[in-house]
Amino acid sequence: MSETIYAFLLRLFPSQFRETYGEEALQLFRDRARDETGLSSRARLWFDLLADLVISVPREYFYAEPELIAASGQHFGGTPSFYFLGDSAPRPGALLLGAVLSLVAALTFSSLLSQGGVHKPRNASARQLRQSAPPAHAARQVAGNKDSLAAGTNKTLSSASFEQGDSDDSMPAPINEAGASVAAPVGRGNLDAAERQLVVDAAITNLKQHYVYPDRAQKIAETLLAHKKRGEYDAIADGDTFAHQLTKQMRDVSHDMHLELVYSRDPLPPQPTEEQTPEKLARYREAMKQINCAFEKVETLPHNIGYLKLNFFPDRSECEQTVTAAMVSLNNADALIIDLRDNRGGMPNMVALLASYLFDHPEYFYNPRENTTQESWTHSPVPGNKLADKPVYVLTSSRTISGAEQFCYNLKMLKRATLIGETTGGAAHAGVWHRIDDHFGMGIPETKPINPYAASDWADTGVEPDVKVSVPDALEAAVKLAQTKLQKK
Amino acid sequence: MPKRKLDPLPSAAFQILLSLADQDLHGYGIMRQVAEQTGGGMRLGPGTLYSSIQSLLEAKFIEELDPSEDMKLGEERRRYYRLTSAGRKLARSEADRLADLLRVARSRKILRGDYV
Repeated sequence: MSETIYAFLLRLFPSQFRETYGEEALQLFRDRARDETGLSSRARLWFDLLADLVISVPREYFYAEPELIAASGQHFGGTPSFYFLGDSAPRPGALLLGAVLSLVAALTFSSLLSQGGVHKPRNASARQLRQSAPPAHAARQVAGNKDSLAAGTNKTLSSASFEQGDSDDSMPAPINEAGASVAAPVGRGNLDAAERQLVVDAAITNLKQHYVYPDRAQKIAETLLAHKKRGEYDAIADGDTFAHQLTKQMRDVSHDMHLELVYSRDPLPPQPTEEQTPEKLARYREAMKQINCAFEKVETLPHNIGYLKLNFFPDRSECEQTVTAAMVSLNNADALIIDLRDNRGGMPNMVALLASYLFDHPEYFYNPRENTTQESWTHSPVPGNKLADKPVYVLTSSRTISGAEQFCYNLKMLKRATLIGETTGGAAHAGVWHRIDDHFGMGIPETKPINPYAASDWADTGVEPDVKVSVPDALEAAVKLAQTKLQKK
Repeated sequence: MPKRKLDPLPSAAFQILLSLADQDLHGYGIMRQVAEQTGGGMRLGPGTLYSSIQSLLEAKFIEELDPSEDMKLGEERRRYYRLTSAGRKLARSEADRLADLLRVARSRKILRGDYV
């Protein structure tokens, strides 16, 4: 019986080896089986054999393989040719096994492909999470709908948060699940006159009602109507093109990069959640706990350089302890690297809290979306904190957006940090979101925050790094700069 | 068939050369001899054993005896292997190399006592 098993296992070896030594190997097995009786000896025998198989079979195939390569090397200019790898036809059993295996492989591959369709990138889950459970004093983004377009139901925000959206559509990204109840999607290229009319009218109404500069709203309205009257929009059947055109025209008149009209191919959510329920809060809290409040790494690199990788700015009320713990563990570092290369924004209160550790006095942190309040200042000095005078390096990428850009922009303007990497994404999210219909919405600034540095912020342009390097090289570049700086001391 | 590597000499191949130093053996005999000379530490499985034998044959460090000679030795029909002079030389140089290594180890006080 056991000999049959071993004979079967021998088939794992390449045919060449089997032909030459198969019989001998079997003989050796018989000899050992004859001489080594008893339970423990038998167990040892099988252990030896199996270990031998594991080691030898791949090695034998390794030696058998190059021969095939050598054979296929003899090609005659483009003539199709094939080679016999064995000198006997495959057994029916082998053919059947081959067929079954190919079928299984094909099925696995196709099912994996269809699985791939529902795969969501990590950011999507973070965004959903915020969507489903906005923190207590997060922005309440109220959207109008077709019925109440001009009814003045859009509320302004008491306090604002940055949305974790994609940099291209910098307004809140549409969530499929939420929009499931809405009408079927309007594909690209079938925008009709009625919808164009609706969008222009709604844009003008919203601007007049909500834009912080009424005089500019009036001018934009006149311009848009003039364009429309001249029939300039009539040929535009693509929603995206239409939205870009209107955005450009609104900005040309107002010189306000925060004005924006957005087209979404997927239906926009009918009514963003505004109620903060204990369940949602509990969910948010649990999610924050699971991802350690988006602190991916907190560690000390060689030469006592602190390294912190934060992937978004979570709400302060849930994550203050985590931030404190992280900063305490880095408190004795001689230099600090803050990695925001994968940071998709978040709450301004967390931006200010993290920045508090970098100053010994309160600093104003400009936020294009909020009126200047007490919250606009860092909470410096933080008792016991030793990082206020240490060199700081911030790593950026084109994926660094929104709240993360607020962090970068202010630190750069204050000359408190060296930015290393790529220009950031350029998503200021300064406007308040107004939904126009299932596929159009717009962002309108409703506050007049003071930008002490310049007329423009990072909207659309992004924040330029001080040191431009490719994203994967940013950390190494930062470490080198930090070391050089520390050596000079 | 691509060349199997014998440089550096794998310990299994070295043990096989040693096992054939003073007698011609068949596969199982080699396996037992190797187990004996290593105090049971190395039990060559069929795969390793015949793979090593094949590479030693290819490099002509061992040779297979004629079937007629097999028969003279009696017993069942088995393939017997014999050390060639090149194989003996190789085993000697490998042993010298290990002896050198041992001297170094001793001078670095890795080994206790002064055997070898």
